[in-house]
This record gives sequence, structure tokens and C-alpha cells, in this order.
Amino acid sequence: MEDYFSYTAKLFNLDDASQKPEALKGIRVMDFSHVIFGPVAARLLADYGAEVIKLELPFYGDLWRPATYWGKYWKHSNPIWHNITKNKYFLSVNLALRQSKELIYKMAETSDVVIENFAPGTADAWQIGYEKISKINPNIIFLSCSTYGQFGPMRYFPGWDLLAQGASGVLTLNGYPDTDVFYKLPDYVGDFVPGNFAALAVLMALYYRKKTGKGQYIDMAQTEGLMRTLFHYTYYSITGEAIGRTGNTDPTMMPASIFKAADGKYLALACATAGQFKKFASAIGRQELASDPRFADTIERLKPENAKTLTEIVTEWVKSKPGVEIVRLADEAGFPAAEVADDFTIANDEWRRKRGSVVLFKDDVYGNLVIAGPSAQLSGTPSRTKWLARPLGYHNRVVLKKFLGLSENEIKDLEKKKVIGTFDDRPGLKPPVYYNLDEDPIYNYGKEVSS
Amino acid sequence: MSSREEVYTRHGGKGGDRGKILTEMMNAEGKAEVLDDILVLDVSCANFAGIICASFLAEFGAEVIKIEPPEGDAARQITPFGVTVQGVGIPFMFEGRNKRYMTLDIKNSDEDRKTFAALAKKAAVVIESFAPGEMDGWGIGYRQLSQVNPGLIYIALSAYGQYTDKAREAARAPDTDITSQAGSGLPAQMGAPAEDREPFSWPLRGGMWVGWYISGLSAALGGTVALLHRQNTGEGQMVDVAGMDAYSSMVGMPATIGFTWEKARPRIGVLDFILYPYGHWKCKDGFVAIAAPRDHDFRALLKILGLWEQEDDWRYSSDRIPDILEQALHLHRIIEEKTLQFTADELVRMALNYSRKSARSKWRGGGVPIVMKLMTPEEAMTNKQWHIRKAFQEVEDEKLGKYTISANFVKMSESPPRVKWVASEIGKDNDYIRKKYLSD
Repeated sequence: MEDYFSYTAKLFNLDDASQKPEALKGIRVMDFSHVIFGPVAARLLADYGAEVIKLELPFYGDLWRPATYWGKYWKHSNPIWHNITKNKYFLSVNLALRQSKELIYKMAETSDVVIENFAPGTADAWQIGYEKISKINPNIIFLSCSTYGQFGPMRYFPGWDLLAQGASGVLTLNGYPDTDVFYKLPDYVGDFVPGNFAALAVLMALYYRKKTGKGQYIDMAQTEGLMRTLFHYTYYSITGEAIGRTGNTDPTMMPASIFKAADGKYLALACATAGQFKKFASAIGRQELASDPRFADTIERLKPENAKTLTEIVTEWVKSKPGVEIVRLADEAGFPAAEVADDFTIANDEWRRKRGSVVLFKDDVYGNLVIAGPSAQLSGTPSRTKWLARPLGYHNRVVLKKFLGLSENEIKDLEKKKVIGTFDDRPGLKPPVYYNLDEDPIYNYGKEVSS
Repeated sequence: MSSREEVYTRHGGKGGDRGKILTEMMNAEGKAEVLDDILVLDVSCANFAGIICASFLAEFGAEVIKIEPPEGDAARQITPFGVTVQGVGIPFMFEGRNKRYMTLDIKNSDEDRKTFAALAKKAAVVIESFAPGEMDGWGIGYRQLSQVNPGLIYIALSAYGQYTDKAREAARAPDTDITSQAGSGLPAQMGAPAEDREPFSWPLRGGMWVGWYISGLSAALGGTVALLHRQNTGEGQMVDVAGMDAYSSMVGMPATIGFTWEKARPRIGVLDFILYPYGHWKCKDGFVAIAAPRDHDFRALLKILGLWEQEDDWRYSSDRIPDILEQALHLHRIIEEKTLQFTADELVRMALNYSRKSARSKWRGGGVPIVMKLMTPEEAMTNKQWHIRKAFQEVEDEKLGKYTISANFVKMSESPPRVKWVASEIGKDNDYIRKKYLSD
């Protein structure tokens, strides 16, 4: 029999990925959403082959377009925006105008999914909510994203990832006990995780529609998404006590903390089971720990007084060895350990590139950029990157001509009336200065290009 | 529609059907289940990413069988401070949704492996977390099962994945939440700045299972994409989830920033890399979270707190981003001096009153400074919003008694997810499963 890893290397071969079928081919998505929560849900659908048309306000665009870490732009674009909105068609229309709504209604006839994350009620007030769209296309799947949901006493409250972390209790769980400092989960996890939940709900609705022909309305509250990931409520309902903050130690396994090694490297080391603990104990030459009545049994080991003693023993041991050696020892013995990876190591680790969880992508407009690959690799219908984010209004002509059959004259008329538009001269919205849009065949779709 | 329902679903404008649609979404009972024709086998061990993935499919109506050795999955003992109810840990109870329980000793018994293969022939989804290649070595991996059942979706969870040389070298490395967090880049972004004293300046672990929940959610998402492809073509496939990818693949920032900036971001404590004010402050009776990052939100916040004289110095968002840490912390303290003079409720009311006025004003663009009281999970359970939305559900296990869970993560008008029952007894459904799936 062929060796397992040779078999899987062929099964997941990255070179073949672009030839493989796309699971969501033929699904059309109208994406009215902005910032991160909604756009990520739409992007996940695009990654698997859906045709996602992102609508933005002319000359302003999505609020998040210029929002880059510490104000650092890359080729006049926001580098992290590329990951949030890749593979989409960028159409810029002014939703407030009557003629724009007519365009949207026309597009709704052939769309399968609509995604929005305005304040609850806004989309309906603008006549582009579920009520209106479902009259045009009764089989539509309409996803509304918000912080607290579409109904309930707090439905009008605006929110960000931070507020969802604050309202669910997530924010108060990060940090050290007996201090007055909390840390929020970084990088807007409170948008990305609910965004993935929302995409999951849309996929389920697509599956259901294929079976029954019925569309539906989806109400995704990001706080509820975060709440689904906390067993802390159950712990409280059973014990009457809170888990609270436990610093760098995970109270569900023992040992399970972030430690500092002899060379100053930080690493996480954990033993989830009695078996793993036994392997750990012999790997560090302390077999007696695995038969010590305080530590042999998993539940005993987790009790706070025993956990404290054991954590001290492990802290001392980790201090005595360099990080790399500990991780190598762990991989050999079969107990979990990993160095704390930072931005630079993640961007440059060779194995991540080979796996496809970090990708060096060559884009027609922006050139080479390293972006994250999917968090699940599919052998048959893999997620893929086709293009990065684009300047505001970049796909106006493609969408209006190819998808809606408008003529060049009609488009010019819409431009004149400011129904559609493009970018203002701001980073995040405009193309790189060296890039000549006049020669771009997609931006000028259906026009003569002098290239 | 009761008057109470009307109040909580009403929206501005001319009315119409929106209230009715929302009222019907308040309850899931009696509605269709998306995956009611799907059989899922969860044979993951000591790995909650697998259990969580199985839960999501079960909430959408799949028949999920949790297969464990006769002594039970070691995941039953992964629980805060060792707290169990009759030997069952809290996370296992929390995720014990709509599942069947069967005992098979896959690790040791040839006979049980055959039984598993017979079940897998009828299954749409298999979820496993053994060392990569282990199931294959036993003759019940994706390679063998897919020959008999080409429509099978095989979800494998591990630390480093199922392919690449690295995966081969580290195949024995088990996946846990904390190593997944560390290896995928979360703690590097959390904690106090390097100048602070140890251990506060160390990379900090996220205080919940960020790694395992991201892996479980990603597995369910990938699995559902595969189910759609199977629905269209009848073809199955393998879904490979690696814990070391979890955080960085979900948020994407580490990879791109590591490349464009050519170095790693430092830890900046309670501040945010992009937005300010965007965090929490001490107040008279606790803490408030404040988000007022856009320029007009920030100005509104200054007005509310009586800090308008600061406007000139911090006018633009670029003045406020913490690339000069000392400068951002200076502003942090200026705001804190004011928040300390009020209670959380007062601050929330001040912000709400301002936002309401600014929304009604004909001079648009008044800003929406958001202030809310910071809540612990226990306090969140008492919030009326979640009561109305039935976000928490009291459930009863036959053996373990009553407890509370946070139930469904989404509301859907036609085919919502739901928790029908909770259970966690080892081997509880052995007879039911053998009769239903193995009698022919």
C-alpha cells in the first residue's frame, strides 16, 4: 500500500487546486455589508466559488478600506483589507438613489443570497431589506448581521467586535486574576468568528433550498455567535461560581500554560489526557510524577492545589531547555507543545507555505502579497484566491454590462447622475500610483483598451 | 402576536410584514431540519474541535453518533478545575447536543473496526482526530472508506494537518486548545507591552477555547461546503483541519502583516492597532467598554465627557493610533479621569442620549459613541435581550440533571438550528444504533 503521506500529498496537491471544481459555482451573492463581520461571511462564499458582488458608496467606499494597522499602507492599499474582501466584484452605487435601487432590484432577480450588516431595520427602511427583496425573488436567502440581533430590546444598539466581546463576557475572561486589567481578543476575532458562523448558516440555507426550493431570512447576532463558544455559562449554572480569569493557564487541562524557555522563547505546553501526561513525565525523566496520586488521575491533576504544584514543576523544567528542543521532544514523545508564533514566523514558516495555509499570491494589479489560506483544506473543492481587493468601483462595467446587460451609454448616464462612481484620491480606495487603469481590460470592460 | 412580541420586533417605517417574520423566528420548534437525512460519525478523541464540529451538524438536524471506547472519550475529563457531574466534565455536557452515544474500541479491536466500517458505509460524514495516518493504518481511513462509500466526507483534525513533510514529522503531536492558540499566533498579540513586568509582558492565552472553537467551526464550514458539493454531484472528499492554522487562517492578519511589515507586531496591552478609543475604561462602579473610533464618534465622546478642550490635539484618527505608545496611553488616562467620575449606567445613558439626539438632528454626522457596561459571562446571562431571544436554554440530562447552555448561534426563518436534547451517557444508544444501522 502506498505510504499515507504520499497518498495525501497527491490528494491535496496545491498545484492541482485551481483545476478542481468549485462547490458554490453559479451562486450569486449581493453583498451590502461593510467593515468585517458581513464582508467575511461573503468572502468565504466567494472563496468556494460564489460570484460575490460587493456594493459600496461612490467616492467613500467601505469604512474599513483605509483602516490599516498603525496607518501603514501597502501600495496605497490597506494590506489586511485584501484578506477580508478578496475574490469579490467591486460595484460602487449610491444606495440612497432611486435608480440604484432599480439596479439592485434587477440584480435581485438572479441572485441567490443577499448579505447586509446595517443597523437593524435600516435595510428595510431603504427598501432593500428582506421584505422587499423576497417579493422580487421569493427564493432568496437573506442574511442580516448585527451585534445584538434583529429583535429584542437592544436591537437598535450599534456595535463593533469589541461590544460583542463585552456583552458576551469574552472580554472579561482574558488576563490575570486579581488585577484590574482585561485584554480584548485581538484582530477583531469577534467579527471573524461570527462571520464564519454566518457563512455556515448561509451554506445550510443553500443546502435546504436545494432540497425544498425555499429561501429564508437569517438573523445572525455576533454576540450570540461568541456566546455559543463559552461553556462558562454551564459551569456557572452547575457550580454557582465563575471560572473567571486564569492568566496564562488553561484550567481545563493540566499542565496547560504558556511558559518561558531557557532561550527566552515562549511556548505552550499541555497534557489533555492521562496518556499524554505519562509521555510527558517520562520525556522529562520524572516517571514518578505519572504514578503520583496527585497527578496520575486527570481529575485529581486538575484540582487547583495539585495544578499549582505541577505548574511550578513544569515551569522549572521548561526554564532549563531551549524552546526548539522542548517542541522536538514533545513531537517525538507525543505530548502537545508549540512555540508562540508571531506575525513574522507565520508569514515565513516553510511548512505553512507548503500546506497552503499561508499563500504567496501573485495578483494582476498588486503583484506579490502573502495572505492566509483557509482554516480548512478541502481535497475535492478547495478554497482558493483568484484576485485581491480592488479599488472602489473597479468592476462597475463588468457587473453592469456582463451581468445586467447595460450599454456603455446607459453606464455613462449613470455616472453622470452619480448613481455609480469610483474612488476618491485616498489610499485604500485608489489603485497603486504606478498602475495604469486606462489599460486595464477589466476596469474598462467592453471598451477599447490601448494596450 | 402578543403585545410583548410586538414591542421587541417592531421597527420604524410603515410596518409591513417584518414584525411578523421576526416574531415567527422567535421559536424553532416545528420547523424543518436541514440535515435530517444525514448520518455523522464522530470518532474524535480527546479533541473538542471534533466534538464541536459534530455539535453544529447535530444542531442542524443530522443524526450524530459519538463513538468512544468503553471507558469513554478522554474529552469527558477535560474540564475547568476538574469539576464534573458524575464523571462528566462541563465542556462535554455543554456540547452534548442532540447526539447518540456508542462504544467501539477502534484503537484496539479488529471486530469494532469492522463495525465502524459498516457504519461508515451509510454515513455522509466521518469526524476523527487520531494521529494522521493512524486510521489509514487500521484500514478505516479516508482511502479505504471512500472506496466503498464515494460520497463520504471525511473530516480529519490534527495539529499540523494530513499532508506535507512537517505533518509527517509531527504526526504524533496531539492537538489541544492552548497549543493551537500559540502555534497559530494569538498569544503573540495579547498581553502587556514588553516594558511591563513579567509575567504580564508575556504572550497571553485567550481566556476561552479560541483555538478549538475556530477549528471546530472551520471543520463544520468546510464539511458543509463538501455536503453541498455532494448534494450536487454525489462526490465526497477529505477535509483537513490543522490546529496550528486556526487563528492565523481565521483572521488573516499575521501572515499579511508579517510579510508587508517584515517584522512582528509588538504587544500593545489594552490598546488596538487600528481604532481608538476602542477598549475599556474603569468607571465609578466597574468597567465600561467604549468604542468611538471614527473622528465624529470621538468628538461626540469628548463632548459627552466634557473634554472638548482636547479636540484640537486629537482631531484625526491618525493622531490617535498607538504607533507612539506613550502618546496613546496619555489620551487613555485623560479619558479615564473622566470615566471614573461616573457610574457605568450613567455613562451608557449619556452616550445613548447623545446618539439619539444626533440621529434625529437635521445636522447629520453627529457621531455614535458607543458605551456599554462590561459584563462577565455570568452577568450576560441576566440580560433581557438574551431572554427575549432565547439565547440561553435550560436543558435536562436524564442522568445529570438540569443545567443551562447558550443554545443556538443563529435564527433562521425556515430551517433553524436547535437543541432538542442533551445527553452524555457512555454507550447509551448502542442497541438503537445496532438495530437501525447494523441489522442487515
